[in-house]
Amino acid sequence: MLVAQLALNAVALGAAYALVAIGFVLVLNATTAVNFAHGESVVAGGFIAVALTGVASGIWPSSLPGIIFLPGVLLLTALLGLAIASLAYLPIRNKPPVSVFVTTIAFGIIVTNGLNAGFGAAPRTVPALLGSGTVEIFGITASRQSLAIIATATLLIGMLAILLQRTQLGRKFRASAQDPEMARALGIRLTRITLLGFALGTAFAGAAGLLLAHQFFITPFDGVGLILKAYVAVVIGGWGSLRGATLGAMLIATFEVAVASVSSQSLAEGLLYIAVLLVLLIRPEGIFGETQRLRA
Amino acid sequence: MSSALHVSGLTVRHGSVVAVRDATLIAPTGGITSVVGANGAGKSSLLRAIVGLTTTEGTIHLGDRDITRLSIEARIHSGIAYVPEGRRVFPGMTVAENLLVAGPSGRRVRSARLDAAFDLFPQLAARMTHHAWQLSGGQQQMLAIGRALMASPAVYLLDEPTLGLAPTVVDDVANSLIRLADSGATILMAEQNAGFAARVSRNLVTIRTGRIQSAPVEN
Repeated sequence: MLVAQLALNAVALGAAYALVAIGFVLVLNATTAVNFAHGESVVAGGFIAVALTGVASGIWPSSLPGIIFLPGVLLLTALLGLAIASLAYLPIRNKPPVSVFVTTIAFGIIVTNGLNAGFGAAPRTVPALLGSGTVEIFGITASRQSLAIIATATLLIGMLAILLQRTQLGRKFRASAQDPEMARALGIRLTRITLLGFALGTAFAGAAGLLLAHQFFITPFDGVGLILKAYVAVVIGGWGSLRGATLGAMLIATFEVAVASVSSQSLAEGLLYIAVLLVLLIRPEGIFGETQRLRA
Repeated sequence: MSSALHVSGLTVRHGSVVAVRDATLIAPTGGITSVVGANGAGKSSLLRAIVGLTTTEGTIHLGDRDITRLSIEARIHSGIAYVPEGRRVFPGMTVAENLLVAGPSGRRVRSARLDAAFDLFPQLAARMTHHAWQLSGGQQQMLAIGRALMASPAVYLLDEPTLGLAPTVVDDVANSLIRLADSGATILMAEQNAGFAARVSRNLVTIRTGRIQSAPVEN
């Protein structure tokens, strides 16, 4: 029983991490740049949910389920993504990659300090997605929040898969990720693809913020830990692979939940980074990564 | 005879190296015009300059329209399609996706063009759900040409379509190019394989150390 509950917790945590990691890969695919403001985008999503909850409580007397705020969080963090793209990426896209590291790190710091100034440093929380408490399924006592996280993440990932696999826009996005110069030579406007990648990727991060902020609380300073996990998931899963990022996120979450169940959360995090170092020493291309194909 | 593409006084520099010097070239409407030359003669630079992938001096007219100042995307949308050296198909996408991505925005027109590409290349139709990396070199070349066809361009620019292909496969490519040209397409091709170029082309020019050598000859 306990194992089943832990497994459910791990999958729920993994699903939220997967949104963060997928968002990171979307930006990577649209630009080949690493967006170091991505962790702060998760935090921003959480605080947007906090703010929306505050606004809603002034209008509606009884408390609303967190899922109500998902569209607002997606929309506002997508706009944040467009801002990151326009201010921290597009003006310097032809400069060496390290410039983009610096501008996105700077953008992240601005977000952190902005949130700290606006909301303060104390941990905040948001309402559970579809009510708290537990339900019995197949004899397992399952937390409603865990189930709701899994359902929400599955829905978002499913919609993304349809967009990428079944639409002309998705085909253009994937073509640009595989060979940007050739995509341009087919008439695809890469700037639009870049903006799309940042908008979608940051919206996924924002959704993860809403999903994580109920159970784990959120402070303006949580971005660094979150981007590290996304980075690790993407490295484990193979740089640039969406499926790999999802698997990587699941592995990280399983590891954290398993270690934390017998010891502490901080030990779990410490051991996680040691495990990642070992993985990279043995398989530099990641556990699921193919040896990198050359781009022509 | 009207010219589909008219390049005049084109010069391409890579740093201090002049890759193409004062090139003037006409591709008449309908049929294949080939630029034949050795490795490094400037063929690829010439085509890349016409697409807009490198900056140039000189003028480029597509039909009556001066496209010299247009961006790559605008040149493509005004009727140029580019089939690069080395095919450059999207390896992780299926054959059908590689074709569709180059098609127009209307779904119905796009699927009609897909049918046209499959008509020209039945080998691709049989492999439409395969990933492009699974194809042979010859099939990848056909996919790259089919991808250009999806835009229904006024002019095709083909860079060394036979590079690295076995002789029997070169015959397949020749036949499909001849069929494409017979259907009214205008093609400007850069080629090292002079025999192949002579077989399929209506006009031939040669290029040597960046200079177009001979006036166009009717083949």
